[in-house]
Amino acid sequence: MADERDPKVSRRYRELGNEEPPPGLDESIVSAARRAAEHPHAPLVTPSGRHRWYFSLGAAAVIVLAVAVTYQMQQEQPDPFATGVSREAVKSPANGRARESAPPAADSSATARPEAATQAETSGRQGAAAPEARMRRDEAAARSLAKPMQAPAVETPQRMLERIVELRKQGKHEEAGQLLAEFKQRYPGYRIPENVVRP
Amino acid sequence: MAEASDEQLMLAYRDGDAGAFETLYARHRARLFRFVLRSIKSRASAEELYQDVWMRVIEARATYKPSARFTTWLYTIAHHRMVDHWRRAGLSVVSLDTVDPPAGDPGPQRHAEAREVLTRFAAALETLPPAQREAFLLHEEAGLTAAEIAAATGSNEEAAKSRLRYALAKLKSAVDDG
Repeated sequence: MADERDPKVSRRYRELGNEEPPPGLDESIVSAARRAAEHPHAPLVTPSGRHRWYFSLGAAAVIVLAVAVTYQMQQEQPDPFATGVSREAVKSPANGRARESAPPAADSSATARPEAATQAETSGRQGAAAPEARMRRDEAAARSLAKPMQAPAVETPQRMLERIVELRKQGKHEEAGQLLAEFKQRYPGYRIPENVVRP
Repeated sequence: MAEASDEQLMLAYRDGDAGAFETLYARHRARLFRFVLRSIKSRASAEELYQDVWMRVIEARATYKPSARFTTWLYTIAHHRMVDHWRRAGLSVVSLDTVDPPAGDPGPQRHAEAREVLTRFAAALETLPPAQREAFLLHEEAGLTAAEIAAATGSNEEAAKSRLRYALAKLKSAVDDG
């Protein structure tokens, strides 16, 4: 194809006009080219006018959100005893592991904060934790890290009553009495069967 | 610098010579703008796309290698941007409202006739299939050969020749009818 131009077609095409880009567009492109040559890593189109503060605001919002989320995560220290781990489990690591494999059930001690754990925390704050307390605290922390999102187990009244009956059968009347007292406090209007009240 | 080839100018710009870009831009600005404008109905979209093509040129300067004519490279970028545009917004070309009358003042009667012929030509250009219209514009406005049109549009030379021939035949018919 040497030249397939048709003179008449070419002339008509030229008559359509010699539009050129507006001067402002030329200036914008040439400025971008200059900026790119001078600062190879600068953005070609710099934010201008009202868009400029959007970038600053967006960046500030992202930073604030990140800080808030981090702070919130640090503040959320799950109570290891609220996850259904009993006082016995805390006292005996092996027992605690056994209880973990069983369905989660709140203990009577779940509402009353274990003395040992409280002492451990107190002594931890004072910087003089006993080895045993420190070990318990470490284990509790490890459990809370392993199950950070586990919801506290809520024991049904029926299950609680069954446990009282079991305690009575085992002759643990004092413990059964404590649990019953707690039951009455927690479920004041609940009708309690006779075999729960007496052995 | 004005005598340097397009490829030399682009290489100089790649190496940080902003003046080389200005020379290069001055050489191609009007033709590229008309190519884009006559491929797209909306002037605002055409200006945006035109600017985008040059921004791509600026961005690609670091990797530029003169393996082909600069013109072919430039219109290859324009072609790709055009394809993106067509995909997004459909296609159209010259708006008859923007057709300027020919220069001079041949009198009311001849003026009306000339305008009628030009309107017919513009309509014929507008109704060309996009590939044929693009081939014609690349040939007529950018001065590309069939091989270069094929390279710029990602087709083969025979297809480019065929598109160009069909486009010229239809446009010639529109002109001859007058």
